[in-house]
This record gives sequence, structure tokens and C-alpha cells, in this order.
Amino acid sequence: MQISLKIALIIILVIYLLCIVKAVKKKNMRINYLIFWSITGIILIIALLVPNLVEDAASLLGFEMPINMIFSIAIFIILYLIYNLTTLISKEQNRNILLIQEISTLKKRVEELEKNNK
Amino acid sequence: MKILLIIPAYNEQENIVNTVKKIKEYGEEIDYIVINDGSKDNTLNILKENNIKHINLIQNLGIGGAVQTGYKYAYENNYDIAIQFDGDGQHDVSYISAICEPIIKGQADMSIGTRYLDKKESEFQSTFMRRLGSKIISIFIRIFCGKKITDPTSGFRAANKKVIEEFAKEYPIEYPEPESTVSLLVNKYKIEEVPVSMNERTGGVSSIRLWKTVDYMVKVVLAIIIDSISFRRRGGKR
Repeated sequence: MQISLKIALIIILVIYLLCIVKAVKKKNMRINYLIFWSITGIILIIALLVPNLVEDAASLLGFEMPINMIFSIAIFIILYLIYNLTTLISKEQNRNILLIQEISTLKKRVEELEKNNK
Repeated sequence: MKILLIIPAYNEQENIVNTVKKIKEYGEEIDYIVINDGSKDNTLNILKENNIKHINLIQNLGIGGAVQTGYKYAYENNYDIAIQFDGDGQHDVSYISAICEPIIKGQADMSIGTRYLDKKESEFQSTFMRRLGSKIISIFIRIFCGKKITDPTSGFRAANKKVIEEFAKEYPIEYPEPESTVSLLVNKYKIEEVPVSMNERTGGVSSIRLWKTVDYMVKVVLAIIIDSISFRRRGGKR
């Protein structure tokens, strides 16, 4: 990999890490997710900085080509993320339903009480 | 005996007044509550103008979430029997006493008003696709729960106190009728079927397309299988 490309990639990754921190600061992301995303970013930076790290790891694990290892890892991480998101959405839906039911019932009771007080 | 009719209503501006009128004519000892499921039409205003008792869901939840709100209301207000009753005029008030009978006598925890039990009873046998769908769901319930339920998609059903409590805590939102039937069966509740006739829909839209039916069937069958597995493990506690 050419040195200029390496530098460019590292700069992009650093900007990416800063974006995550900013998002957490602005409460757009919870700290839980900060850990996951920043670890991914840091691992990528290490992989770029340490010479031959990806190639050595790939041959150690028995991948014929380093790119295959990267694709495999990326796909597994994405699957894990999407799985987590679907369960999260289902949980949130259940909470939403409960909230809507409780609020609607409460509103009815409040209206009844107001009527009785008049 | 405190009896509550739970009437879920979604975009029922044409039917709801008539339905409630028939219920009021039927008898005074029966309470009712309309659950307006975030209707987009004039349903809410009609409910207010006609002084119909209702809970207005601030967002659309779908039939399952709406009906569960009714069961919660029944549970909080200590009703002995809760009857699910459609707001679109499909169900006939004259069957209310019939559907309550097995519960009052203690023969069942839930009774389902079934369309297909008696050919003569029901002029409106519903469309072929619906019948076929019900048949398939019925077969799967028989395989996984060991009980024959002829009309598992019927929305006309009565529940006793124990079942009201159960439904108030947990009620399937996605495919409420068949799924709740399955969860009751695996938890060893008794279900009886009562023959009823249903009217043709007097208003509203009911267009069930083929692919939609197939999609529904696949998911319901899947839900039946999963419910019967996961509930069996927990069954001992209840």
C-alpha cells in the first residue's frame, strides 16, 4: 500500500473517531455504542500502522488471501449488528405499545375525573 | 356478574353508532368500551358527539394492541367477563348470552364464537379463502396443541377473569386471535366454541388478496409453532 494512501486512510479514521465522540457528546449516541464503534476504528488504525499485520494474521488463520479475512470479519460484524438492532427495535416496539396503552387509558380517566368535578 | 364488551374500532365512522345502539338496546346490565385505534376518519368525533364510552389510543396500535387495552381496562375495573366484539357490525349482539354461557357455567375459560360449526346457523359463511385459511390454521393448532378449534381467527370471543388477567399482562400483538388461542391452550386453559352467525360487513374495507393471505398464513403457522414451544417450557410455573 502506498504511503500516501495509508496517511489518507488514517486521517479519515481519526476524523471518524472524532465524529463518534462528538455524537456521544451531543447525546446522539449512547456510550454503549461508543465503545463498539471506537474499537472498530482503533483496530483499523492499528491494522494500517503495523506493517504486514493483516497478511500475517490471514495466513495464520488459514485464509488464502488477506482480503478474504477482512470480508469475513466485516460480514460477521455486520450480521451481529443487524441482529442486535432487530431485537432492539422489537423491544422498543413493545415498550411503545405499553406506553400508548397506558397514556390513552390515563387520559380517559383524567377526562372522566374532570367531568365529575364540574 | 360484571360483563364488559370490548369494541375495537379503526375507521368505523359508518358503523360504530349503530353497533353501540344495538348493544344498548340489548340490555342494561352489559357495559361496553370502544377502543378507538387511532382512526384517521371521523370516528373519534362521532364517539364524543354521541357520548359513547371510549378510550382513544393516541397512536394506531393494530387490532391486538387495541383489544389488549380493553382487557387491561376490564382487569383494572374488575370485570368478571370480557367479550371481544367488532365495531364494524359483523358480530350479532343476540349471541352475547350464548357466548357467555360456557363461562358462567364454568365449563370454559374462554369461548369463541365460531362461524363454521353449524351450516344453517350462519348465512354468511365468509369467503372461500378465509375458510381455507381458517382450516389450515385449525389443523396446525390441532397438531401443536391437541385441540380442535374450528374458527381460530374469529374475533368474537368471551374471556373469564383469569384469562382477562392473563391477556392484560401479555397479549400477542401481531396475530392476536390464533396466537392468543394457542397460548391459552398450552397453558391448560379450557376453550369452548359456540356456534354464531356473522353479518356481512356493512361498511369499511375488507379486501384480502391472495398473496396477503399466503403471507398471513405462513406467519401465523410460524407463530403457532413458536408459541407452543416456548410456552411449554414455562408452563410449569403457571
